[in-house]
Order: sequence, then C-alpha cells, then structure tokens
Amino acid sequence: MRFAQIDRIVSLIPGDSVRAVKGLALSEEYLQDHFPRFPVMPGVLMLEAIFQASAYLARATDDFRYSMVKLVEARNVKFQGFVQPGDQLVVTAKWHSEQGQQVKLKVEGAIDGRTAVTGVILIERYNLADRGLASTATDQYLIREFKRKYRLLFNQLVSPEQVAANPASVPAN
Amino acid sequence: MRWFWIDRFTEFVSGKYARAVKCVSLTEEAVDEYCPGYPCLPSSVVIEGMAQTGGLLVGQLSDFRERVVLAKIGHCKFVDIPRPGQRLHFLAEITNLQPNGAYVVGRIERDGELFCEMELMFAFLDDDKFAKVEQFEPAAFLRMLRLLRLFDVAVTESGEPVRIPPHMLEAEKTLLASPIP
Amino acid sequence: MPNQDEVFAKVQEALVDALGVDEDEVQPEATMVGDLGAESIDFLDIIFKLEKAFGFQFKREDLYPEDILTNSQYVQGGRMTAEGLAALKQRMPFADLTRFEQNPAVQEFNNLLTVQDLCNYVAMKVGS
Repeated sequence: MRFAQIDRIVSLIPGDSVRAVKGLALSEEYLQDHFPRFPVMPGVLMLEAIFQASAYLARATDDFRYSMVKLVEARNVKFQGFVQPGDQLVVTAKWHSEQGQQVKLKVEGAIDGRTAVTGVILIERYNLADRGLASTATDQYLIREFKRKYRLLFNQLVSPEQVAANPASVPAN
Repeated sequence: MRWFWIDRFTEFVSGKYARAVKCVSLTEEAVDEYCPGYPCLPSSVVIEGMAQTGGLLVGQLSDFRERVVLAKIGHCKFVDIPRPGQRLHFLAEITNLQPNGAYVVGRIERDGELFCEMELMFAFLDDDKFAKVEQFEPAAFLRMLRLLRLFDVAVTESGEPVRIPPHMLEAEKTLLASPIP
Repeated sequence: MPNQDEVFAKVQEALVDALGVDEDEVQPEATMVGDLGAESIDFLDIIFKLEKAFGFQFKREDLYPEDILTNSQYVQGGRMTAEGLAALKQRMPFADLTRFEQNPAVQEFNNLLTVQDLCNYVAMKVGS
C-alpha cells in the first residue's frame, strides 16, 4: 500500500482509541536521503503514522460515513527518540473531544515502551460533495477504497475465539 | 521515493529567512493512491518541506557542521490540502537562535493566499549522546545543496553571496580526484 | 517591570505551551522534571518561550547546568564536590539548593528545579 505509514491496527475502540504499529525497514527508499549515514524515520512520518491511525479511528467511529479525513492542526508534537531500521513504532491515539466535524486527539508513539513522540492533533472529516469539491460518486469510491484498506490493516488470521474476546480487533465488514 | 519536499530555494538570506517552492504532481509516490479518486498530498510532508527550508537555513549558519534535527512542531495549522497542479511557496524565518537549537516560524502560500502557518523547533545533536552520528558525507551533502539551488540564491545580510563551506569543497575535490570504483 | 504575579502568569503560560501540561499542574512548588515531565529538549523550548514573553535573553545552561554536572572537577563518585556546589550556587543564585546540598547526588539534581525557581530566575534577569 503506497505511503501506508501503519502496518497493522492492533486495537480500535470506536469513539475512544486506536493502537497501531509501524515497523521501519532498511529497504524503505527515503532512508537513502534521511540520512545517508544515519537512517532514521523522519519525524513527520511518525506524525503521519499517528494521523493515519487517527483517521481510521474516525472512519470506524463514523461507520465510514465520510470520505475525507484531513489534518487541520498539530500542537506540541515533540520528538524524543529516533526510530531506526528494525524498530517498531507503536502509535496510540485517544479521542479527546469533538466539535462539529473536527476531532481532537491526544497522541503518542513509543519504541519498546519508550516514548518517542507525543502531541495533540485536530482532524476534520467531511464529504467532498457536501463542499462542492467533487461528485458523490468520488466520495463513494473513496469510502469503498478506505474500507478495503482498513480491512487489510488487521490481522487476517484471527480466530473466532479471539474475535469474541476482543471484538474491536476485526472490522465487521 | 526520495526525501525532497521542496523543489528549489528561490531566496536565502543567511541567518534571516529563506523561500522555497514545491510543485505538487500527480506522479508523486506520496500522492498516488493516498486518497484514491481525489489525489492530494499528505499534510505531513508539507510540514517536512518547511522543516527542510528552515533546517537548511539554520544549518547554513554553522557551515552545515551542526547536525540539525526537527525536535518539535510547536504549532501547525492547515487551511486546506494540497492538490496536483498546485505550487506551494514556503517562507521560513529564524526567530530565535541558541547554541543548541533554533526556532523557525513558517508560512506557506498557495495561489497568493495563506495555506499553512507553523512554528518549528530544531535541535543540534550534542556530542555526548550522538558523538558517532553523522547525517551526511560532506561531498554528498554539497551535491544535495546544489540540487536545491541553495548557493545560487544564498546571500549574506549585506548582500554578498554565501560561500560554499571549504570543508565541503575539499571533500568534493577529493571525491572527484579518486579512482572510479 | 512585571510584578511577581505577572511573572508567574507568563511563566505558567510558557510551561503550558512548551510542555503541553494543564494550567493547574503548574504550581510554584511543582518540579520541572519530576512533576511536569520536562526533558532536556523542553528546556530549550522553555527558554525560547520565556525570551518571547519577556523580551530578555535567557540561557539554557542557567537552568540546565549540564556543563557543571558533567565536569570531572566538580563531580566525584556521582556526587558534587564542595567546589562543584559553589559553581552551581554561582550559576543558579535564584534556585533553592539546600535540599540538594544535603544529598548532592548528580542524578538527583534534575529533579530539583521548581516552577518557583524558574520564576525567581526570570525575576532576577528582568530585574523586578
């Protein structure tokens, strides 16, 4: 999946929180520039991982009602540790509050339990047709594509017993 | 995918401010399939564009010897999302400089209108914890700066062209004189 | 020249901004590192914000004296020597070091600095 900055959603509780993981591979092409002698995940991609997890939380919470989720604000995003190839960044986003179509989330990322990034983000969900930006068909196509991507982000081999124990682990449809 | 989030510098006044431009294109890997059916560029890499504009502005003050990293996004607010065919104009200004870091205020315009505002804090990696860390080999770093046309536009406050750091020119000279592997 | 309350209000705002903590967590007796979770990088941001708020130049090493704490002349067996303590007092006349003097273990130092110490520092520099 192009530009996917999360590899798997580990848990998702609608309206509450999401946890996802992103492993950094030495084969990721942009590492040749960041940096040639010290390959590390750029801070903004840590933010992107957080944003993508948050966006899926919003989509699942809204039952995929909206096609678009965009980043409106990032506040006090502090980078405290480097993610190196072989590390896995575990990102968590907690639903803080909602105002209209905007959601505020408290977010963080950790490597082996050590905090690597913290912050607050504000995202907005909407449909393009409602804002005169595109046709309803475009919204519908987008929603379809995000549902498809969402399913791929869960462990495909989860047994029914595991699902019963943790209903948030696998999307319904 | 390369990690260049600005296409070139258009203005650069040492220690003060720098302007850069980025074209958003349908063929960019980050655009492709990010938002299927309504192509757009992720906002996170727009922040990186400002981090690169501001980070190199700050780095130039130490002849690119300090290892500059993005330590904090103080605050960042977007008006919209970037779409293919659009051009983003970055302006980064140093507002505060300390021995171990710097504060940069950034403003991005699109079609002459405000698109994004942000405050970024950069830190210089200290030798205690990061003694062995080197981000770039000097000749490769110089090549990158040339790619971004930094020295084509960079001037000091008094208007003199900014010189290419001697240690980088030396490294480049050594590389070009060495046998082809 | 700002009075004590004004200094506290601005310092509180700078800390809320830099550390992402709530206003009511920023009490005078709260320690910067222990209670508010400030790290090395945060001190840089706090300095920037204080400079902006007060229009004065502050120095990170006044609040975070890494150079004294890691100087082999001043530290022996993880504890500050008398010389080291004197250097600290000189660098940080605004801070209450009595507790640290009783147990001058270097790794305890960072947990010392309180919000009140920070206010005292600002007041000292700004001359109120």
